[in-house]
Amino acid sequence: MSEFLQLCFNGTALGARYALVALGFVIIYRATGVINFAQGGLLALGAYLAYALNDTAALPFALAVIGAVIASGLIGAATERVVLRRMVGQPVFAVVMVTIGMLFILEQTITSIWGFEALNLGDPWGVQIVRAGDVVLAQRDLWTVGIAGAVLAAFFAFFRFSKLGVAMRATAFDQEAALAQGISARRVFAVSWGISGALACLAGVTLAAGPAALSPGIGAVALIAFPAMIVGGLDSPVGAVLGGLIIGITQALTTGYQEDLFGWAGANFAAVMPYVVMVLILLVRPYGLFGTREVRRI
Amino acid sequence: MRSSRMWAAAAAAAMLGVAGCGGADSEEGGSGGSAAKEGEAPKTVPGFDGNKIRVGALSPLSGPVAVIGKPLTNGNQVFFDALNKQGGIAGKYKVKLVQEDTQYKPDVAVQRYNRLKNDVVAFTQILGTPSVLAVLPQLKRDKIVGAPASLDAFWVREPNLLPVGGPYQGQAINGLDYYVKNGGEGKRICSLSQDDAYGEAGKEGVDFAAEKLEFKLASAQKFKQADKDVTGQIQALAKAKCDAVFLTSLPSDSGTIWGTAAKLGFAPRWIAQSPAWIDELGASPLKEYLAKTVWIVAEGTEWGDDSVAGMKQMVADVEQFDPKQDPDYYFSFGYVQGKAMAAVLEKAVELGDLSHEGVLKASEELGEVAFDGLFGDYTYGAADERKPPTQSTIFKVDTAKPYALGTLEKDYESDAVKEFEYKAR
Repeated sequence: MSEFLQLCFNGTALGARYALVALGFVIIYRATGVINFAQGGLLALGAYLAYALNDTAALPFALAVIGAVIASGLIGAATERVVLRRMVGQPVFAVVMVTIGMLFILEQTITSIWGFEALNLGDPWGVQIVRAGDVVLAQRDLWTVGIAGAVLAAFFAFFRFSKLGVAMRATAFDQEAALAQGISARRVFAVSWGISGALACLAGVTLAAGPAALSPGIGAVALIAFPAMIVGGLDSPVGAVLGGLIIGITQALTTGYQEDLFGWAGANFAAVMPYVVMVLILLVRPYGLFGTREVRRI
Repeated sequence: MRSSRMWAAAAAAAMLGVAGCGGADSEEGGSGGSAAKEGEAPKTVPGFDGNKIRVGALSPLSGPVAVIGKPLTNGNQVFFDALNKQGGIAGKYKVKLVQEDTQYKPDVAVQRYNRLKNDVVAFTQILGTPSVLAVLPQLKRDKIVGAPASLDAFWVREPNLLPVGGPYQGQAINGLDYYVKNGGEGKRICSLSQDDAYGEAGKEGVDFAAEKLEFKLASAQKFKQADKDVTGQIQALAKAKCDAVFLTSLPSDSGTIWGTAAKLGFAPRWIAQSPAWIDELGASPLKEYLAKTVWIVAEGTEWGDDSVAGMKQMVADVEQFDPKQDPDYYFSFGYVQGKAMAAVLEKAVELGDLSHEGVLKASEELGEVAFDGLFGDYTYGAADERKPPTQSTIFKVDTAKPYALGTLEKDYESDAVKEFEYKAR
């Protein structure tokens, strides 16, 4: 039983990381209908910014993270303002290609500033643990789950009670109607990119904590978070979080019971499992768990 | 960097044009190739203009694996810089290293290979098992020599390849033999390896050691590269009550693996393949755990060990030609590769033929090449008679040392490793 709980907790921590990445995708998709392939690059950049502020500028870790989150948010918003606003009215496909181009630019920028060496992020969590019975909880994982939980709560409050949040929901629902109500779509787009950048930074920090875990390849996790976003429904923040947790826990349990239950499927079935879950859920709910049904007349 | 790469590309393109024009010429030269005589100055051929010898490096200089490609290529470069300072091959031909970025993608490697092949006499580095496999058929067809930057055992029996160092299998066998003979007899031994060709090579060594040392593997786990959660695997190893685990991984995953193990309070004797280590791990919060539990099986000696001639020379060359280079295992690897290629080129000049075929012939006639303790000496020659080095050095984590590794046992050679047979793929 303790083994099962241990796996579930680790799966939850992993899922929380996926959820942060998936949320970043969803925020932009909701507002603009674009899947931002540069999310992985923004994530890595955020983690490196936190490293730079902590290591080079010698700020305390918490301040460094807050600084990096703000900086990443501004970078996200600036990207929208400088690059993507010019693409308004262009086919979605073109915009997606621009985000892919941005991913390459970000990757090159990161390696030209910080090199290729794996680095230590400098987080205070180290390898400290908390014991709950037989289950071992790493501080780093507890913080990750806590951060993801806080972000989610903040989201709900923001979308529910703030004027801008409601404006964003309205724009996502019907852009033209929102415009007619005097909502600035431009502002909504910029804020979406800003939030997404800040989320990417948080995801990056939680992924880069740990021994020599900060490396330029860290953005690749965005691809693994993809099924999380699809499972939850492309445009649903709740779905992104739930999707992240489902994928994380599935992966952890599959690895844990690999030998007992999935021996027939060959080693490393855990790498395939998220996609199996994704396909199964899509068979039942084609728009994901919480996705909006699209109606198209043919 | 970008501009230098563009220049290299432009130069390569220009040389291709030249080589294209000179095609007929070199064919004529080919018919007269048999006339190449020992002791005579070699004719100009693609990659050799009578003064300068050009050799290629196909390496991931961008992307995640650049963390290996950059220092390794730098090792090639520093070796040739030092050699050129002394006059070059045969004291008169300077060597120019031409680099191409493969991004660790086999298809890109093949493309870059084709771009370079008529501009170089040989390839002093092709990094990564997948890239070597992709380029190998063409090397055979073009009769070109290439040096793999990968310690797979298959390379030993391939005439077109010029490997250095003892293969991964040998590291695993020596590491486990050392463990068993030093208090590990009757203990529960397990393995954890990544699920690709590199992981398989390590596992093959572990299985061979198990057979020869007569122990049964208590658990064999695998993981996927860049997995961020390996709790399942570590729990399985802990459940199997492993006293020792042989690990085949890359540095990006080693941190995750050891971090998870430390967290779960699982502290077996870790014995890891040489590429698993990176000095940053010695500066991480895990350093105390690592110092207690980890051995690394590699070759040669610790960085900066003055008592070893090859190391002394290499450190002196680094100070002179690239003082910014940090202690790095991959750098040493590239430096050793340069040394092996220089030996082949010396032989080719001696035989009076620097053409692709001439260099291939030279590599077949090459005897033992000494690496002065930096790596084990390698007996080259016809592919089926080659003898890779069989000794490994067992290192322990020691954060006071450069590269955070201190010697536990130098040049350890098990009886089992001598029985391991190297086969072509």
